[in-house]
Amino acid sequence: MLELKIGQEVDLEFGGKAKVTGIIGSGGQGVVYLVEFNGMQWALKWYDIDKIRKPEEFRKNIQNNIADGAPSNRFLWPKYLTKVLPDGSFGYLMELKPDSFDSFVDILNTYKLVIDPMTGRATKKTVRFSTLYAMVTSVINIVNAFRQLHRAGKSYQDLNDGGFFINVDTGAVLVCDCDNIAPEGSNFGIGGKPGYMAPEVVRGIAKPDVQTDKYSLAVVLFKLLFRGDPMEGEKVVKDVCLTEISELKHYGQNALFVYDPNDTSNRPVRGIHDNVIKFWRLYPDYIKNAFIRSFTEGITDPNKRIIENEWQSLFIRLRSEIIMCGCGRTNFTSMFEKPDDKTYRCPKCGMKFATIGFSNSDTRVPLYLGRKFYECEINPDCDDFLNVAGELVENKLRPGVLGIKNCSEKSWKVKMPDGIFYDISPGKGCPIWKELEIDFGGIIAKI
Amino acid sequence: MSNIENTVPDSLLDFDDDDPLGATSVSKKSLVIFFMIDTSASMRGKKMGQLNTVMEELIPEIRRVGEADTDVKIAVLTFSTDVKWMYSAPVSIEEFEWARLEASGVTSMGAAFEEISSRMSRNSFLNSPSLSFAPVIFLMTDGYPSDDYKKGLKTLQANSWYKFGLKAALGIGDEANDDVLAEFTGSPDTVVHAYTGSQLAQMIKIVAVTASQIGSKSMTLSDESNKELSEEDVFAAKQKLLGQQIQELVSQDENNTVSFDTGW
Repeated sequence: MLELKIGQEVDLEFGGKAKVTGIIGSGGQGVVYLVEFNGMQWALKWYDIDKIRKPEEFRKNIQNNIADGAPSNRFLWPKYLTKVLPDGSFGYLMELKPDSFDSFVDILNTYKLVIDPMTGRATKKTVRFSTLYAMVTSVINIVNAFRQLHRAGKSYQDLNDGGFFINVDTGAVLVCDCDNIAPEGSNFGIGGKPGYMAPEVVRGIAKPDVQTDKYSLAVVLFKLLFRGDPMEGEKVVKDVCLTEISELKHYGQNALFVYDPNDTSNRPVRGIHDNVIKFWRLYPDYIKNAFIRSFTEGITDPNKRIIENEWQSLFIRLRSEIIMCGCGRTNFTSMFEKPDDKTYRCPKCGMKFATIGFSNSDTRVPLYLGRKFYECEINPDCDDFLNVAGELVENKLRPGVLGIKNCSEKSWKVKMPDGIFYDISPGKGCPIWKELEIDFGGIIAKI
Repeated sequence: MSNIENTVPDSLLDFDDDDPLGATSVSKKSLVIFFMIDTSASMRGKKMGQLNTVMEELIPEIRRVGEADTDVKIAVLTFSTDVKWMYSAPVSIEEFEWARLEASGVTSMGAAFEEISSRMSRNSFLNSPSLSFAPVIFLMTDGYPSDDYKKGLKTLQANSWYKFGLKAALGIGDEANDDVLAEFTGSPDTVVHAYTGSQLAQMIKIVAVTASQIGSKSMTLSDESNKELSEEDVFAAKQKLLGQQIQELVSQDENNTVSFDTGW
């Protein structure tokens, strides 16, 4: 390929020049350079044209994607194409990721290498989610981004751990490497990354599309939560050396989920897959069952794979079931004792948590100081899982009295101890008592 | 009260180790990259100097090549009159520091083949408890073997890590024999040749980077049909791919490559 040099200028399709100022990284299809254009810094993805099977169609597809625009602001979408050089090579400009985002690869590694600009020496810096809330929010964000993409009629095709940046404090997500995204039914030659490809792609009998995206998405989510490979267990490790033939077998023809309920021959191995063994026991059954479905029936029947909006509601529920106990223990309700139907208790410190039930759901969610409710939980027609609609707070004038503050834009009707319903307007709140009822206007919550 | 205590499942009581955020690094597959380097007297001077510098620069550049899936380790075997390992075991690429090599003596390539074969074993250098990729073996030499290389190669060829591994070789200067190197790699496609210092740097980079990326980066589909792949279809697929990619890079480098209308 024609590598670009520092200082080299590249003509953009609609005028202007981008000047190469550094190298950001390299991937299977080319190199990403840091460039300057219009007084701003951008990332330039520059293709190794020999690795693109049909360069003209590939370029045309990027052109179409630029014209269509990103499905949402969660994508680092192609912005400008460069002109094509005489040898056929070209690239495109996209925005740089903000510093506050870490790559998914670094999150899986649990550290990143920070290079001292003076000496070139690398030091390790820990990368981990600062809260469980942020982690589950990032899962919801990833799932939602692919839901938006698929609703726009396109598929990603090369979904893998290199495709995301995540803010570990907030759970915000940016999807990058958007250049293989293509309309449903089209493929411009990309196969995918080993370990993330759907079994039918590994076997050669299908090309990447929305259905194979769903499989790869399940792998990404499994890696994020359980920190291991869903197909690598005892059966695979026995092979010792992962040759092309064993990859075809273990990720294609005979792919077997490590927690397949009907076949225990590929269970995770202690000493190698400790993360998976540890985390699998923490999660509630409805999450485990979704992965079991994805990686058992979903291996052979793409229609059985979990659809993004199913994942989204599962993880919104999971987020609502996080308890941050006063003793410092944070976990899902599945890891708390349940002395009766309406109470959770911390097995470590014994603290008890009341719960509240919503009229649109069979499950009850725990209440504790700092607990947040999102728009999607109180409004049946709403998909907004990021804006806080209510929060459990302590009354500022009466210390020790806990209540729920209305952070939404609508008034609630709330049953007070005198048995009468009062209007609670935005910014106000109501104390928690044993027969509390809140009518959010559609959904009703009861202690 | 005690009644409830008795019904608590054991799994809930192990709260020292139940933090959903308390992850260690994701389990990785390991990949050892072997460099076999000729340090005979003919390498002395500029060749050795250039090679040392290229390798010093190369290691940091490919440091993150394994991403989150692969734990890449490096092992360097030098051969002249004797064969010698730079470090007594493969070293993780993130911690690897190049120890500058010196040249003297003759070219005991056959002995080097036997040595590497004896180390490419589950009981020796390839003892990772987790899954391994077949190793990458990269041979660099500037001369004709001074010992019975065929005998050593025969031993190596019987080693199954070698069989499935990715083999590449670089001949340096006029004396190096590409036929011998192709015997080692199994195909002329994975043999490259450098005649100048800048070619040396370029070829080492091309081969090392390409070889270490195969299998860990996104791949393009090998064909257009939707035919089910068989074991024969995929056998040695990576070695073939490596040969193709090296040949593409090398041929571009030859008719080099600054277009008439760029660089102004």
